[in-house]
Amino acid sequence: MHNPLTILRRRLRGRDARTDGGATEDGESFLSRESVRSAPFWLPPALLIGVFVYGAIGWNVLLSLTDFTGLGTPDYGSLDFENYVVAFQGGTPSWSELTVDPIWNSLQNTVVLVVGFAAVCLVLGLLLAILVDQEIRFENTFRTIYLLPMSLSFVVTAKFWLYMYNPQTGLINIALGAFGFGPVEIVQNPDLKLAAIAFALVWQFSGYAMVVYLAGLRAIPDSHFEAARVDGASTVKMYWRVIIPQLRTATVSALVVLTVFALKAFDFLFSMYGYQPGPSADILATRMVREAYSNGNWAYGSAIAVVLFLMALAIVSPYIYSQYKRGAL
Amino acid sequence: MTDRKGVSRRRVLQGAGVAAVAGLAGCGGGSGDSGANSIELLHAWSDGDGNAAIEALIGGFQEAHPDVEFAEEPVNGAARSNLDQVVQNRLQSSNPPSTFQTWPGQTLNKFGDAYDDIEGDVWNDDLKNNYLEGPQAQAQLDGTYVTVPLNIHRINNLFYNRNVLDSAGVDPSSMSSPGDVVSACEQVAQNTDAVPFAQQTSGTWSTTQLWETILLSTGGIDGYEAFINGNGNRSDVKAALDSVVALSEHYPSDASSIGLTEANTMVMDGEAAFIHQGDWAAGAYSNADGFNYGEQWGQVTYPGTSGSYLLNMDSFPFLANNPSPEATKTFLSYCGTAEAQVLFNAEKGSIPPRSDADVSQLNQFQQDQYEDFNNADSQPPSVEHGLAVSPGIKTNISSAFSGFLENYDADATADALLNAFN
Repeated sequence: MHNPLTILRRRLRGRDARTDGGATEDGESFLSRESVRSAPFWLPPALLIGVFVYGAIGWNVLLSLTDFTGLGTPDYGSLDFENYVVAFQGGTPSWSELTVDPIWNSLQNTVVLVVGFAAVCLVLGLLLAILVDQEIRFENTFRTIYLLPMSLSFVVTAKFWLYMYNPQTGLINIALGAFGFGPVEIVQNPDLKLAAIAFALVWQFSGYAMVVYLAGLRAIPDSHFEAARVDGASTVKMYWRVIIPQLRTATVSALVVLTVFALKAFDFLFSMYGYQPGPSADILATRMVREAYSNGNWAYGSAIAVVLFLMALAIVSPYIYSQYKRGAL
Repeated sequence: MTDRKGVSRRRVLQGAGVAAVAGLAGCGGGSGDSGANSIELLHAWSDGDGNAAIEALIGGFQEAHPDVEFAEEPVNGAARSNLDQVVQNRLQSSNPPSTFQTWPGQTLNKFGDAYDDIEGDVWNDDLKNNYLEGPQAQAQLDGTYVTVPLNIHRINNLFYNRNVLDSAGVDPSSMSSPGDVVSACEQVAQNTDAVPFAQQTSGTWSTTQLWETILLSTGGIDGYEAFINGNGNRSDVKAALDSVVALSEHYPSDASSIGLTEANTMVMDGEAAFIHQGDWAAGAYSNADGFNYGEQWGQVTYPGTSGSYLLNMDSFPFLANNPSPEATKTFLSYCGTAEAQVLFNAEKGSIPPRSDADVSQLNQFQQDQYEDFNNADSQPPSVEHGLAVSPGIKTNISSAFSGFLENYDADATADALLNAFN
């Protein structure tokens, strides 16, 4: 029995001994290559992830090219891009007797939700982080209070915000009333719906942005603050010119997590409105579930899922690439 | 040390392996044992009156057929759509249950090919002679009998709190059209502090069933049937929507933040005068102390829809490739008896679909509904509750109402509703 670890260690040691001998890899057999010898470590997880994550994604892409609806098995014999044409142009697809609306409306809502939510969340998170970073009393308590909402599930927060937005008894309307504004219909108001959802999500996730920023702030040496002060910078100027530019990594990593959360805000909307959030709050995720599970249009649902996946990829990949360029990966 | 460790680790692995094999064997053995004859029934009635009803039904069945085993597997914590997903997955993997809880009618299209004909075996002359035409039509998919409806909830009800109506000076029996309901609401608003018309609007379903009820009045039974067949008359559809818009002026101001339970509680507490709901609303009343039928609350057929009994039903279909064909047919035949339906409906608060049931064991409200049912000229199927239109069309109709709830634009919604069939 060869312990893979021992093999690896012996192999590394062997290499050390040969450093000045001019030995090349040519003479080594395939089996003794480092990548092969370390296979017991990377191969099983790579296979598992390959099958269960990338395999599933690939299968979903394949499914989106079929005409699969209802029961039975998908026909992989005839693949085409009809579902994508329908998704962007509408019309009556060959697999349906009913016309299918294009996804523009839910796509637009998704983008608005993601951008609005992420931007507000980051700004709020940064402000909170700067405040908490002032070495205030009960810092840990505040940090925990701000972070707590994130530990709640979307189902809980959705029901909770349904109460908060209640025109008669909800806290939001009571607060508005204190400033002399009449009770406002929020939950089914087409002008406020999406903003109200974004607001609730901001409440839930700004604590996360705060923690990420706080870690970033703590990593900046005190000397930077002191140098800016000595040079006569005001507090605002100090943060704007010296500190915030150094929080780029924190911003990007928080942004990635937040946008991906917003793309997946399905549970929140479902708990609030059921299958039908209405035209002004319908996002791709709710549309996808409706097509797949209410109508049994599996292939079309898969096509929407692929669009959603590409959007997530478009957000994540620049981040991964920049990490890679800086050698952080 | 290392050796000993190695051994023990190996032992652990061996132990785990043995356990896993034993577990697998156990699984196989388990399903083998209960195999041929036991009925696997999937349902989502995991609590409340639904759970009491299914337990009463199964209890009655086991008394009548002690030889048939039951492997009841409720889908817990499930709404109906989740149950459908479970069944869908089972059907995809060619492992269907014996039967499951589903709406009959057009909803059957969802798993169309998965059902099998039970005419003769279950749907014998006794059932055919004793189910009225409307419910009997809903048991068929394209003319083939595939399912057994076991209860009926009525949709076209208007429930009211008698004290509130008395102090507003409204006589519920005098109303004869949807317009009269709106006038009565105005009278309630003027004369009392109560909310005239309790309603929830965070989900679309309550509004859809209110609209379909009013369509039964504005279009009559012919206009209603024309709509569900895709040939709706725009003016009927829009008139019904206009009536909903007028009623929406009298909703609670927080209608969008509440659910059915809260809306219904407003009626029970005297904070609201009317509520339009299926007769499951009455289930909550019968559980409340000091809130009695005929005294504190009453019900009228939604004004303008008398003569119609708008149906919402649950049923147990027969799936092809059935794991227990004979036992399932025995069970479905039992569900088709008047005795079984009385047992089930006494708990569920609905009425038996058979017209020959002895309903003396049901409460007074159910008996009155049952009398209405047997005297009804027509028993049209509900749109919202999946009987009247196939799932794709129903999704389109719900989408139309999700827009309606945002802007109450009757014109745009009428167009969207008529387009739902294209």
